[in-house]
Amino acid sequence: MNWRQTLLFGLVSALAPACFALSGSEGGGQILTPASRTMNHGDVALPRGFAIDLISNHLTFPTSVTFDDQGDVYVTESGYSYGEVFGVPRLLRLREGEAPEVIASGDNGPWTGVTFYGGAFYVAEGGVKSGGKILRIERDGKITALVEGLPSFGDHQTNGPAIGKDGFIYFSQGTATNAAVVGPDNAEFGWLKRHPEFHDVPCRDLALTGANFDSDNPLTADEHDRTSTGPYSAFGHAAAPGQIIAGRVPCNGAVMRVPVRGGPVELVAWGFRNPFGLAFAPDGALYATDNGYDDRGSRAVFGAADVLWRVQPGAWYGWPDFSESRPIYEDAIWKDHYRVPGKATPPRLLAQPPSRPPEPSALFPVHCSADGLDFSRSTEFGYVGQAFVALFGDQSPTVGKTLEPVGFKVVRVDVKSGVMTDFAVNRSKKAGPASKIRGGGLERPVAVRFDPSGRSLYVVDFGVVTVSDRETKPRPGTGTVWRISRPEGS
Amino acid sequence: MTRTLLVLLLGSLGVACGSGRQSAPLDGELKLNAEQRQGQVLFHKFCHQCHPHGEAGLGPAINTNPAPLVAVRLQVRAGLGAMPAFPDSLIPDRDLQQLLAFVDAQREQSK
Repeated sequence: MNWRQTLLFGLVSALAPACFALSGSEGGGQILTPASRTMNHGDVALPRGFAIDLISNHLTFPTSVTFDDQGDVYVTESGYSYGEVFGVPRLLRLREGEAPEVIASGDNGPWTGVTFYGGAFYVAEGGVKSGGKILRIERDGKITALVEGLPSFGDHQTNGPAIGKDGFIYFSQGTATNAAVVGPDNAEFGWLKRHPEFHDVPCRDLALTGANFDSDNPLTADEHDRTSTGPYSAFGHAAAPGQIIAGRVPCNGAVMRVPVRGGPVELVAWGFRNPFGLAFAPDGALYATDNGYDDRGSRAVFGAADVLWRVQPGAWYGWPDFSESRPIYEDAIWKDHYRVPGKATPPRLLAQPPSRPPEPSALFPVHCSADGLDFSRSTEFGYVGQAFVALFGDQSPTVGKTLEPVGFKVVRVDVKSGVMTDFAVNRSKKAGPASKIRGGGLERPVAVRFDPSGRSLYVVDFGVVTVSDRETKPRPGTGTVWRISRPEGS
Repeated sequence: MTRTLLVLLLGSLGVACGSGRQSAPLDGELKLNAEQRQGQVLFHKFCHQCHPHGEAGLGPAINTNPAPLVAVRLQVRAGLGAMPAFPDSLIPDRDLQQLLAFVDAQREQSK
């Protein structure tokens, strides 16, 4: 090794740890002028023997796909996107060679998920305007609300649903905030000015440590106005040590269920942050993807992974004091693991945790937004028992900084070991959405579902969303549905 | 001399902070021995979140970092920059050995 090689080696070794401090954020949505969306299935890399084709495009914010008992394909369009873009939530039937047919539409998006069961569709209505609902939609488009009044005005909405063999609709409700404290980041999301009294509600009674958080007050015209806010409290309302927050159902950060015929809502498990995807595994267990904390707001958290949980009835999964079953506050073992560089470690909020959180089934990359999931049951498709998960992709810089784009692909997960492997990715030297790498492949996968035969995996691709310090800008008409299958003889 | 150093510095930064792209559909699946397979499980528990498949993400790429494994071990134990420390109480020495064996396998494939 000559002196130049020695110096190069030393410099690279020394500079690698400093990358985070030296580099700006390079999220997948950080694009000034995204390329217009073109589709080229050849730009998507898959394991040998698999092929991908385009089922539908020009959709606006598609979120989920399902199949009826005739095998027809249906997709929900959200009707709302981050960036405060409101539209019409719709249930569409997709048939080859035909324009999408509107089965039903609403006015209280986002419609985040759909499943078909017993001759009808069941939709999770996020309801940022009027509250979350679980809807039953007949084939003729008639809509009946089975559940109403879900606390869904905040950062995260009503999600799911998945229907169990027990005849219950399982659905989830995300939290109002990043880490239980309403702050200026919620004004940037858009909802704080619409619903200034809204905050997180726990499912069971909780006692607080009394930690409060000072912030600017975006609800007044005085730019120097400051206020203090406690957890599980409306913006500008401080908490007291030992204060009991009354729990109730329905609540935030929870998986709940209701009978298919309708009835009272029951709590299944709680302490999640944003349990977006729900699916039953071949062994009958319910799994949920959970979007981890962001580096934003009055109680920012650094390096929190998205999680795949095996949902155990009655369990508490750790939000807002744990991430991945590890404490995010200063702890004898984990120290300041989740401290944002240059800031204080997030203080503990709960005087006593309800219980010890279970261990995760798998951990996804920080900020990847692990969303819809399904399990392979087909030996023809392969990977039987593994979870396939859509990674929407980072929304940096608003969720925190990333050095490279994270997500924008479909992965498969061995739920026993937690090992995950890329399944569908864009061909490029760097990871990222098609709009950033200027390809014709995946943009933002948000849901995956196997068709009734199990031989094809449908991938719902939300479309182009650009993100900057100033705004989140989703692009209507750029959503697609892809199909991945293993052609015979391959 | 100054110019050479500047070029080396910028080049080093590019390598150190590069993407380290590695993905099974592009590169094929890793061929691992028993120790590396154990390390792969530990990698997904402790490292994958910030260095997905050894690529850059929240943190820098591991795949393209030429630091010797002994230096990586030191960084895991002590933490550096934005990376927290993982003491023996979190990752025992035997586990760290397996984890580093997997990191080495990732680097070998990315060459």
